[in-house]
Amino acid sequence: MRKILEVRNLSKGNILKKISFEMREGEMIAVMGPSGSGKSTLLYNVSGMDQADEGEVLFNGVEIVGLSEDEKARLRLTKMGFVFQQMNVLANLNIIDNIVLPAVHANKKQKRELYKRAQTLMDDFNIGDLAERRVNEVSGGQLQRACICRSMMMEPQIIFADEPTGALNQAAAADVIEAFLTINREGTSILMVTHDSKNAGVCERILYMLDGEIKGELNLGKYTDDDAREREKRTSRWLEEMGW
Amino acid sequence: MKKRLIINDFKANKLVTVSTCIFMAASAMLLGLSILLFGSLSSSIDSLMIKAQTPDFLQMHTGEIDEGQIASFSENRSDVEAMQICRFLNLQNSQLTIGGKSLIDNTQDNGLCCQSPLFDFLIDAENRRIQPDPGEVYVPVCYRTEYGLKTGDIMRINTEKLSVAGFLRDSQMNSMMASSKRFLVNESDYEKMKILGSEEYLIEFKLKKGSDTNAFSTAYEDAGLPGNGPTITYPLIKMMNALSDGMMILVILLVSTVVLFISILCIRYMILTQLEKDKREIGMLKAVGVSKKDIRGLYFSKYLLLSVIGCLVGVIAAVIAAEPLGTQMRELYGDAGNKSLIYLLMVLGSLAAEGIILLSVYRTLGKMEKMSAIQVLYGHGYFGKKKNLYLPIGIITAAALFMILVPWNIKSTIAAPEFVTYMGIGESQIRIDIRQTDDVEKTAKAAAKEIKRDDLVRDYTLMHTGSYKTVLPDGASYNLMIENGDHGRFPVRYIEGRYPDTADEIALSILNSKEMNVNVGDTIRVYKDLGDNHKSPVSCKVCGIYSDVTNGGKTAKACLDGFEDKTPVMWSVIYLSLKDENLADTWVENYREKYSALDDGIKTVKISDYIMGTYGQTIRNIKKAAIMSVISSCLILFVVMLLLLRLVIWRERSGSSLKKALGFTSAGIKGEYLKKTFKYILPGIVIGVFAGIVPGQSLAGILLGSMGAYGFCFIINPMAVFVAAPAVIAMAAALAIWASLEEVGRIHAYECLGARTGNY
Repeated sequence: MRKILEVRNLSKGNILKKISFEMREGEMIAVMGPSGSGKSTLLYNVSGMDQADEGEVLFNGVEIVGLSEDEKARLRLTKMGFVFQQMNVLANLNIIDNIVLPAVHANKKQKRELYKRAQTLMDDFNIGDLAERRVNEVSGGQLQRACICRSMMMEPQIIFADEPTGALNQAAAADVIEAFLTINREGTSILMVTHDSKNAGVCERILYMLDGEIKGELNLGKYTDDDAREREKRTSRWLEEMGW
Repeated sequence: MKKRLIINDFKANKLVTVSTCIFMAASAMLLGLSILLFGSLSSSIDSLMIKAQTPDFLQMHTGEIDEGQIASFSENRSDVEAMQICRFLNLQNSQLTIGGKSLIDNTQDNGLCCQSPLFDFLIDAENRRIQPDPGEVYVPVCYRTEYGLKTGDIMRINTEKLSVAGFLRDSQMNSMMASSKRFLVNESDYEKMKILGSEEYLIEFKLKKGSDTNAFSTAYEDAGLPGNGPTITYPLIKMMNALSDGMMILVILLVSTVVLFISILCIRYMILTQLEKDKREIGMLKAVGVSKKDIRGLYFSKYLLLSVIGCLVGVIAAVIAAEPLGTQMRELYGDAGNKSLIYLLMVLGSLAAEGIILLSVYRTLGKMEKMSAIQVLYGHGYFGKKKNLYLPIGIITAAALFMILVPWNIKSTIAAPEFVTYMGIGESQIRIDIRQTDDVEKTAKAAAKEIKRDDLVRDYTLMHTGSYKTVLPDGASYNLMIENGDHGRFPVRYIEGRYPDTADEIALSILNSKEMNVNVGDTIRVYKDLGDNHKSPVSCKVCGIYSDVTNGGKTAKACLDGFEDKTPVMWSVIYLSLKDENLADTWVENYREKYSALDDGIKTVKISDYIMGTYGQTIRNIKKAAIMSVISSCLILFVVMLLLLRLVIWRERSGSSLKKALGFTSAGIKGEYLKKTFKYILPGIVIGVFAGIVPGQSLAGILLGSMGAYGFCFIINPMAVFVAAPAVIAMAAALAIWASLEEVGRIHAYECLGARTGNY
C-alpha cells in the first residue's frame, strides 16, 4: 500500500518531541494517551493546521510543513477532512447547508451536484431526512454524523478526527464510529484521537503517546464485525501494559 | 445558501439587524438630505439669478445723480455689457399696511419700484418677468408667509390703495439679510406715489463674462461716480441668498457627520460581538480550509444587503424630509433646475455614506484574521481583547449631546441680543435709524437732543455714516464707509484691538481689512471734506478689527466728526438703552407715534426685533434643524443603548444565571447594570457638554464665519445647556436602560447548568 502520511522527527515546543510514524492509504489509526500527552497537537500539526517547529510531514510524498498558510488551507479543503469533538456548525444554516458550506467555497460552480452528494452522504449515515432541520433541532449524534458528511464532501484522502465521540452518549458514539468504519471501508484513511478503548479497538493500529512521544504501537489488523469484543479487550490490556 | 444564512441570521438577531439597518438608513438619509438641499438651494439660486439677470455690480445712491456721467463711464469700459439706473421709492413703514396688517414693526427698508428695463428683473413664481397693471402691486415673496398674504389683499400706502396681484422674487433682495425690499408697481402708480417717500437710485451694471468685479468696483470709485450708499456685488448677493437656508443645511451636514460616526462605532461593536459569539464556527471554517477571504465574504454579504436596504430607505426618507425643509427655499428661489443631477448627487451621497460604513465593516471583519483556528480548537480561542461595551455607551452619550448642543448653541447665539456685537452693531436695547430724509444730520441731532432730555433713557450714542476716500499704505485709494461717533458707549465685539477713541484712530470690518490688506497698527490716510471741494487727509492708525454683516460687511468706525468735517452724512443711527429694560416696547411705541407723523425718515426698532427681522429666517431654519437633531439624537441614543445593553446582557447571561442560582434577585442584577451604565453615561454627559461648548464653538465658528460673524463665542442658554439637554439625554438613556433590563427578568437560574444562550 502507498504511504499517505510520513511524519519524521516532528517537534512542537515541549508538546511534541521528535515524533515519527507512517500511515498507509486506507489505514485507520487511533492515537491514545492521557490528557496533555500531545495527541491533539500531533493531529493539528500533521494536518497542517498548526505550524511545527521542526521535522517533516509528507502528505502523498509532498512536504507540507513549509507550505504557505493559503496552500495548507487549500490542501485541507480539498484533500483532507476534519471532525472535531465540538460540533462547530453555523447556527443560522440548516443541516444540509452546513454540510455543503466548505465544499461550496472550494467548488463554487457545481452547487447542484454538491447538494446531491450531501444528500447521498446523509442517506448513507441515516440522517437523510434531517436535511432541512436547523442545527438545534437534531441530536448530538445526528449532528456529529452531519459533521462527518461535511468532512466527506470533497472526497478526502484522509480524515482527521479529534475525539469525535467525546461529547456523545454511547448509542450516538456507536453510530458515529459505524460511520467512520463505512468511510474507511470505502478507502479513506482515518487518523483519530480518542480516549475510548472501544473506539480505538476498531482501528488497524493504535499509537500510544506520553509526554509528547510515541511510547508504543499496537497492531490490531483490519477490523471485522465479528472480533469487536476481542479487539476491545486486547486494547485495554495493552493500554494497561503501557501504564494507562 | 448565502441567502438562507443571511435570512436566518436576520431572524435570529432581529434587534441587531434592525438597528444596523436604521444606522445605515439614517446615515444615508442625512448625507443625502444635506446634498439634496444644498444642490436644490444652489441650483434654485443660480437659476433665479440667471432668470432675473442679477447685476454684477450695484451702487445704491441717495441724492442727485448725473446720468450722463455714468453713461459715459459705462460706454468707455470694455467690460460693461449693460448699465441701467433704477429708481427705488423708499417708504415709511408706518405708512404701510398689507392685508390689514401694519408694517410698522418691519425692520426692512420697504419701497416701490418699476420693472427694470434691461436686467435685474423681478419675476413671479414661474420665473416670468412681471408687468403690473395700474392699481396692482406685487409683494416680495418673503412677506407672503410672514404676513399671511394672498392675492387680492389690499396694500395701503398712506391714503393710496393697491391690490396685491401676486408675489415677486427679487434675486438681490429676497433674503431677509438684504435690508431692503422692493414692491413692484406700474410706472403710473410709481409716479403718483413719488411724493409719499424719498427716492434712491440703484446704479446697476451687468459685466461681460470673466470680468473682474473688484477691478470694476475700484474703477467706479476712482471715477468719482455717485456712491452715497452701499455697494453690492454678485457674489455678495449670492452669499446672502444662500445664507439663511445654507446655515440649516450646514447644521444638517454636521448632524449627519456625527450620525455617520455613531453608526460606524455601533456597527463595529455589533460586528465584534457577533464575531466573538461565532468564534468557534469561524475557527472551524478556517480549520477545514475555507479561506479568510471567503469567511469574510460570508459575513460581509449580510452587511452589503443591509446597506442596500439602508440606502434605499435613506434616499426615500431624504426625499420626504426635503419636502418640508425645502418649503421656504422653493418659495424664495423657485424650483431647482437640473433636478436629475441633484437627485443623482443625492444618491451618490447616500451611497458614499454606505460606502464609508461598509469600508469600516470590511476592516472590522478583518479582525477575524487575527483569530487562529488552532487557538480556537485548542480550546483557548483568542479573539482580541473582550470589548467593553459600556465604553461606546459613554462615547455615544457624548456624541448625542454634542449633536443637540451645537445647533442649539448656534441658534441661541444668533437669537441673543449680544449677537449683534458680532454683526458690527453695539449692544443696546433700541436702535433708531435716520435715513431717507433731506437733512439726515440735522434730523439725527435733533432726535439725539430729545433723547438726551428723556428721563427714561439711561445712555445713548449717535453715529453718522459717510463715504470717505482713503489712501492705503501701498498708495492705492479705497472708498470707505465710515461710521463716526462714540464707539465706546455700545461697543461691538473686536476680533483684534479695540474701538477708536481719538480722531486719529480707525477700526475696520474684517472684510475691509482683508480687502484693503491692512491690519491693526497700520496707518491709512482718510480724506475729510472741508467744504468747497477741499479735502484734507488725516492719518488714522488702525486700532481694531471687528466682524460686520451690515452694508455688505464693508464698514469702518472712527471719531472724525469734528467741526471741520463736512462729509455728507448718508445715514445716522442712534443706539440707546433704557433705565428700565421692560419699558422698551412702550418707549418704542411712543417714540414711533411721535415721529411717524412728522415723516422724519426715522425708524425705531428694538434690537431684539431687529435681529428677528434680519435673522428670523435663519433662526427659524436653524431651529428646525436643531429640533431635528434633538429628535434624532434621542432616537439614536435610545436604539444604541438598547442594543449595546442587550449585547452586554447576552454576553453576561451565564454569569447572571449563575448569580440567580446563587440567590441574587433580578432587581439586584438590574441595579448592578444600572450602576455600571451610569458610570459611563455621566462622564459621557460631562464630555458631551464640554464638546458641545468648546470644540462645538470652533465648528460653529466656521459656520458663522460664512455669515460674516468672525471670532465669536457661543452665547449659551445655561438652562438649556446644563440642565435641559443633559436631562433629555438622561431620559432617553433611562428609557433604553429600562427597556433593555427587562431581559434580565427572562434569565433563569437553571441556564448556567446547560449551554443555552439566547439570541440577542
